[in-house]
Amino acid sequence: MDRWWSDGTETGSRLWQGVVAIAATGCLLGLAQNALVRYGDPKDGLAWKYTPPTLDSLEDIAPSSADGKPGGSNPLPPDMNDPLQIGGSVTAGVPDIPDVSRPIQIQISKVKAFFDAKAGAIIDAREPSEYAEGHIPGALNLPYDEVVTDPERLEKFDPQGKPIIIYCGGGTCELSMNLGFAMVNAGKKKVLVFMGGWPEWATSGYPIAKGATPEGA
Amino acid sequence: MSALKAFLLHPTVRRAAQITAGSIFLASALPKIADLSAFAGSVHNFHLEPFLPMAATNLLAMTIPWVELVAGLALVAGVRPRAGAFVYVALLAVFTVGVITAMARGLSFDCGCFGKAGAGPIGALKLAENLSMMAVGVIAALERR
Repeated sequence: MDRWWSDGTETGSRLWQGVVAIAATGCLLGLAQNALVRYGDPKDGLAWKYTPPTLDSLEDIAPSSADGKPGGSNPLPPDMNDPLQIGGSVTAGVPDIPDVSRPIQIQISKVKAFFDAKAGAIIDAREPSEYAEGHIPGALNLPYDEVVTDPERLEKFDPQGKPIIIYCGGGTCELSMNLGFAMVNAGKKKVLVFMGGWPEWATSGYPIAKGATPEGA
Repeated sequence: MSALKAFLLHPTVRRAAQITAGSIFLASALPKIADLSAFAGSVHNFHLEPFLPMAATNLLAMTIPWVELVAGLALVAGVRPRAGAFVYVALLAVFTVGVITAMARGLSFDCGCFGKAGAGPIGALKLAENLSMMAVGVIAALERR
């Protein structure tokens, strides 16, 4: 080939070498860029290992005063920094949840604390039939599918200033996450997702309710 | 049919397809590289955890834009452009699968495909856009006989 560019006639091993070279070069450059930013000054960039935000990592994402929201100047209460004070304990109060712009994961011990203190608006994102078979007492049934077809249900829902705790059938809990994002998009603050969901609650020996109403039939 | 074949295999058509595909990837890579954290947020929105551990999604967000950039440069400059076209089609195929699974699960968000500003919502339009961009890549990747 007597010119430096080609119109794309490479085949066989020459082709696959090119494919691997492009993919490898891209990956290396990407990792190198992030390394430079991450260990540079100022330190920025992405964490090598992504961890979804949880209640315990709220300190990292609590709104700062730079956002113009209240709460930045208002440090988190001390019990937020010591999960042991909240986790598992029935009598210790519930954590104060700052306004956040995306759903936050919450563990069962904290769900129980909110449940005992009646300090959270608990939402069951599963289908009505699953809800009727058993749910957390007091939980409101708001199936994600119905919210998609009837967004007004979301508008009408008023958590009365309480943090919203969403749960569904466990696993990757897509229903809860989707509903959580829908709520955040609809302007709701303090949206928590209980990833363990109904299976974890039901097997923990905590109170349950059956029937179509929040407190049970 | 043979006229269509002759057209698709014509060096000028292929070169034009390569430059078009390369430009698309350059246009999508640069805004992502400029704002990696926004793109990482988009990747998290896809909720890939059934296919990929959540912990690995940041690695994906770091590397994808740069692979796009290198493939785009190869296509535009004509340095191993056919290899660039293969990478282009493969990446777009992965993106399309991501869009389809997100749609199937009823997720709704801006895909961040062209960075924050050029994002479009996940939906049929995005799917059609991806497929037509893939068609350009396939023309660029055709083997000359």
